[in-house]
Amino acid sequence: MSDFAGMEDLLQDFLQEAGDLLSDVDNKLVDLEKSPDDRGLLNDIFRGFHTIKGGAGFLNATELVTLCHRTETLFDKLRNGELALSPELMDMIMAATKGVRDMFGDLSSGVQPSPAPADLLASLKAAAEGQPKPDAAPQENAGSANGPDWEALHAAVSGQPQTAVSGEVIPAVAARSDAGSGARDAGSNEARSNVPAVPQAQKSGGAGGGGRRVEVARENTIRVDTARLDQVLNLSGEIGLTKNRLTSLRADILAGKNDSETLHALDQAISQLDLLVSDLQNSVMKTRMQPIGRLFQKYPRIARDLARQLGKDVELVLAGEETEVDKNMIEDLSDPLIHLIRNAVDHGVESPEERAAAGKSAKSLVRLEARQEGDHIVIIVADDGHGMAPESIRAKAVEKGLISEEEANTLDDRQSFNLILLPGFSTKTQISDVSGRGVGMDVVKTNIQKLNGSIEIRSEVGKGSVFLISLPLTLAILPVLLVLLGDQPFALPLSLVREILPIERDKVQEVGGKSTLVVRGEILPVIPLVRLLGWPQERYPEYGVLMQTAERSFILGVDSFAGRDDAVIKSLEDFRPHGVAGVTTLSNGQIVLILDMRELLTDPGNAISGRVPALEAG
Amino acid sequence: MPDSKMRILVVDDFSTMRRIVRNLLKELGFTNVDEAEDGAIALQKLNGDTFEFVITDWNMPNMDGLTLLQTVRSTPTLKHLPVLMITAEAKKENIIAAAQAGASGYIVKPFTAATLSEKLNKIFEKMAAA
Repeated sequence: MSDFAGMEDLLQDFLQEAGDLLSDVDNKLVDLEKSPDDRGLLNDIFRGFHTIKGGAGFLNATELVTLCHRTETLFDKLRNGELALSPELMDMIMAATKGVRDMFGDLSSGVQPSPAPADLLASLKAAAEGQPKPDAAPQENAGSANGPDWEALHAAVSGQPQTAVSGEVIPAVAARSDAGSGARDAGSNEARSNVPAVPQAQKSGGAGGGGRRVEVARENTIRVDTARLDQVLNLSGEIGLTKNRLTSLRADILAGKNDSETLHALDQAISQLDLLVSDLQNSVMKTRMQPIGRLFQKYPRIARDLARQLGKDVELVLAGEETEVDKNMIEDLSDPLIHLIRNAVDHGVESPEERAAAGKSAKSLVRLEARQEGDHIVIIVADDGHGMAPESIRAKAVEKGLISEEEANTLDDRQSFNLILLPGFSTKTQISDVSGRGVGMDVVKTNIQKLNGSIEIRSEVGKGSVFLISLPLTLAILPVLLVLLGDQPFALPLSLVREILPIERDKVQEVGGKSTLVVRGEILPVIPLVRLLGWPQERYPEYGVLMQTAERSFILGVDSFAGRDDAVIKSLEDFRPHGVAGVTTLSNGQIVLILDMRELLTDPGNAISGRVPALEAG
Repeated sequence: MPDSKMRILVVDDFSTMRRIVRNLLKELGFTNVDEAEDGAIALQKLNGDTFEFVITDWNMPNMDGLTLLQTVRSTPTLKHLPVLMITAEAKKENIIAAAQAGASGYIVKPFTAATLSEKLNKIFEKMAAA
């Protein structure tokens, strides 16, 4: 079971705060590589390890204390100018940081971390002792039981008589060099008594360095600006007042009072409630919003490590870190973004030699940017590398048997780039150990789609590639378009809707047995919703909804519309029918199904399947 | 002996640590506790409000614990304030520096409520004797 029974709260706090601190340290390390003599940076990093060590002590995480302590000792020498930073030292420090992070992983799964790799500990120690100072014996243990006797020293320094019963009296400050081992009295053994000998909870085979991380539990706490909580509180107070007003009006109306003044007051109170409730929804949503910078700050280090490994010179530039995103979304974005960044560093940008040959600067830039555009969050991963050629992507896809030659010929550039999102696609002939196993890009796409988002790829040969991720602001409220089949309403995510148009029967053309419609020069398939649902088609749809998913555009045929709404999604956990994302309740109490268009379209049983979705005319 | 209503300022840049110290103080019956994130903020609070005890970490950004202690000792209105230094290090140099700057006590992380209580009582005894 957990090694931290009774300390769960403390552990959670520690992991969150120390995790932030470590990310900060990571970024400062990347900066430190550029300016190795920056005292401020050295100090900050020293303090980071020091602080983590202090907290770890209270959790009895002795191995974490040891690792932090050794690293901190090294930084102490660096900041005092007793040691100079070398690339070897930097690698060692990076390894130590990674070790600390791994230990956080262990802690978050409720087990005491196993010791850091012995060679790392040894080399940290050796490095710190590299330029030995005559009398500076390395401090082995933070909470050392052999610590100096504070009381005796204090008395010696301040010249006060000792109040504590003392075994030995230290005559003068001059004698202090012996104090550490010599003087022991009642007051001095607290360090020993405080650190109960906690048996190390070693996991099976816990000695190994790699691959020992247990699955990390998802963080289920959140830090919220108190101003935001105050606003929620404030609004709920206001709503309470309005409710009181309504209660009193109800009493009046039930008593038969229905003059225009009463009705006007009722109208006012309801309008006010309307406003307050949507404000409250907004405010509550905002408490879930976190700056995406918390996620971004992990990446410069990852990009740096990878670039170093590949012998490339890459700078990851961050922008828009303050952009706020739903907390759950931040966690789910982590893996796709790591993949895109690795991809950019590994496949996107060239080696310094290639860049020199192409007349580019030796250092390549990878830009990671977030911004809010209307009710969407846009995240961009862009590199200034060699870009992608649509022709070679098409050729590769044909070679891999993902599409046929004929299909390849019908694709425009945008559709060609989308091919790299298909499972089993990888343009690099050589598989590196970093990325390029051919799994990944399709996983990126799937993950983004799970968040109701889309991904778009732009690329220019010689100039670089851009991956553009578009996400809804929140997953809790979904703006929907209500369409009708007969008198049965269905909700469609508004984010996919481009426009609404009447379907004129005589404009519909049959191409290869499929209904199509030309909209501003673009040939789009008409897909009646009844057919997707497998209902019998009684009449031809009168209206079309021009929809665009990440892969394709099409016109969804419906009978009519019932307006738009902000749906609060209730998920159907156990019995989710195919193609249904969830349900919502209309203002009149009617329950409406929210359709999952992508799922509906990929139904193997329906008429439009059988081809790779990305290749539909669009 | 010590008044449990005593107003105590806990200074540390690591909020987890402030919470730990706060919880330990609570175990000892001290509930009138305020917090500061670094020496500079602590000084502001000390100057703006009345505190009877300060427990401060050593290593902090902006203003560290030692500078805070020195400033307290050189400020006429604050100089009698008892200050307990917390540090991760049991290094002689640190202890001597703290003592010379006029620390009332020195405690090494990690510690238990019992140790904290012992340290506090020693300081109270000295204050009562003075």
